[in-house]
Amino acid sequence: MKSIVLSSVVVALLVFSGCSSKEVIVQEIQAVEIETIAAEERIVNSGMNPLSHMSMSDIESELLTVYFDFDKFSINSKAQRKITKAAELGKTGAASYNVKLEGNCDEWGSDEYNFALGLKRARSIKKALVAEGIEASRISMVSYGESNPVCEDKTQECYSKNRRVDFKLLP
Amino acid sequence: MKILISLMLIFGLTFAGDATIEVIKKVDSLPSIGLEDASINYGDTFKLQFFKALVADLNVLSLFNVDRLHRTNHYNATDVVVDNKDMNYVLRYKMYEDNFGALNMDMKIIKKGKNVFSKNYKVSRKNIYMFISHAIAYDINEFMEEPSVAWMKRTVIFSRIVGPKKSEIVISDYTLSYQNVIIKGGFNVFPKWANKEQNAFYYTSLDGAKPTLKHVDIKTRKVSSVISSDGMIVCSDVSRDGKILLLTMAIKGQPDIYTYNVASKKYKRETTYGGIDVNGQFMDKNHIVFISSRLGYPNVFSKKLDTKEIEQMVYYGRSNSACSSNGEYIVYKARETSNAFERNTFNLHLISLKTDFIRRLTVSGVNEFPRFSEDGDAILFIKNYDNQSSIGIIRLNYNKNYLFPLKYGKVQSMDW
Repeated sequence: MKSIVLSSVVVALLVFSGCSSKEVIVQEIQAVEIETIAAEERIVNSGMNPLSHMSMSDIESELLTVYFDFDKFSINSKAQRKITKAAELGKTGAASYNVKLEGNCDEWGSDEYNFALGLKRARSIKKALVAEGIEASRISMVSYGESNPVCEDKTQECYSKNRRVDFKLLP
Repeated sequence: MKILISLMLIFGLTFAGDATIEVIKKVDSLPSIGLEDASINYGDTFKLQFFKALVADLNVLSLFNVDRLHRTNHYNATDVVVDNKDMNYVLRYKMYEDNFGALNMDMKIIKKGKNVFSKNYKVSRKNIYMFISHAIAYDINEFMEEPSVAWMKRTVIFSRIVGPKKSEIVISDYTLSYQNVIIKGGFNVFPKWANKEQNAFYYTSLDGAKPTLKHVDIKTRKVSSVISSDGMIVCSDVSRDGKILLLTMAIKGQPDIYTYNVASKKYKRETTYGGIDVNGQFMDKNHIVFISSRLGYPNVFSKKLDTKEIEQMVYYGRSNSACSSNGEYIVYKARETSNAFERNTFNLHLISLKTDFIRRLTVSGVNEFPRFSEDGDAILFIKNYDNQSSIGIIRLNYNKNYLFPLKYGKVQSMDW
């Protein structure tokens, strides 16, 4: 009786192990053609004009892009300095404008989670701007997920450039 | 001995229908099929194009060892060509053009010298030949009395990123051979079919002051705005009857899942966690699965609508950021590596709510955006690997993956 039970267990184990094989057959069907899309070159202008005479685009170029760590939306001290400067501009030269915060992510994922991560980044900046005295009603947000890269190389510098929030002024 | 047999029988009965267990079919034991082209009117290039499409479709059926050589014969010839003599099945077809320029097709299946199945097809233009190919594959599958592959005839809708803040919304067949750009220009993402008939769809427009969900009636070409939200808005799922939408919105800047009643235009917030809740998918009328960061990393949870019952569904994977469900099955995307500076691998995994098994469905690259077919027979997904974007299809019961590469751009999201 014992040996029957034992052999049953052995057979069951063999059946189990047969089922857990992870081989997946992948079959390519069409010829591959690759078309690379040129990356947008981001130019940051830095002018010396007095604030009161600056155009909207001049002021916008003074608002520095804030970068984030991988899979994070918390603000580090470097980012906080940029936000403080942005808030000062928001109370002076840019006082008549509203601002749109554009959240972006690196290319790791085209799903909704990535869009939400971009949004949480924008929201972190919004909260920080409000804490610096900017009215919440002047700030709108949008997330572009991974769909608005400034750099498309497969390098760490490139990925970190895409994990960012841009400031766009609205009249 | 009786105990042994009954043990094996119990095991077999328990797991026979479980898609989380891989069944490795013996390729050698599949019946062989050879093709014979008896077409007139059309040039060699087009004949080969059609032949390749048909071979691809027959391969996806996973029922045959398909012979890849293009052979010709007369449609009414009594014998199959010599090279096809040992084939279990021969598929002979004839394409011909009628007076109105339509593509006509006669097809028959020959088994042991006898015609066992025959049908004819017609499409108005020759450049939509792939739909005939899909229809033939569908009919052969029915003839072989295998579980339906109705999904082959369904239309895929996807958004393709063509540059920073630039995208196209494209309608295609499941192999991407046919592509019709339905929305060009602008920045439009997350297309989602609005109903089973696939004659209308939703998408997110990111061009205006606020992200806006729009509805397009394909027949009338009428575009209407549904609802806007600060930050983001996505139509994640549509109920079977098309009456309720699962939206991810961020009305106060906080991404949460909402149900939206199409008729009354009223919405209701379904999740309230302060982190990220996205990607709601109907499991049935009253239950949804979704992605939440409530554990500190993205993972799959379920919720019974109109209650506060939330349950963690997946206990494997460091970062599970997308999912789709069909009945008792959930397919989800898991990050296999966690490196900010190198290429990461994302694979799709399948779980069943009734067992503890996890089945990995993909092996390399970035595999994401899984979407079950309506009948649960197949999973469509996006694969991005080495600068190449493809749409993939997984035949769960046959343990096979097929990839159909996109010629340009990157697939952002899709639905079928």
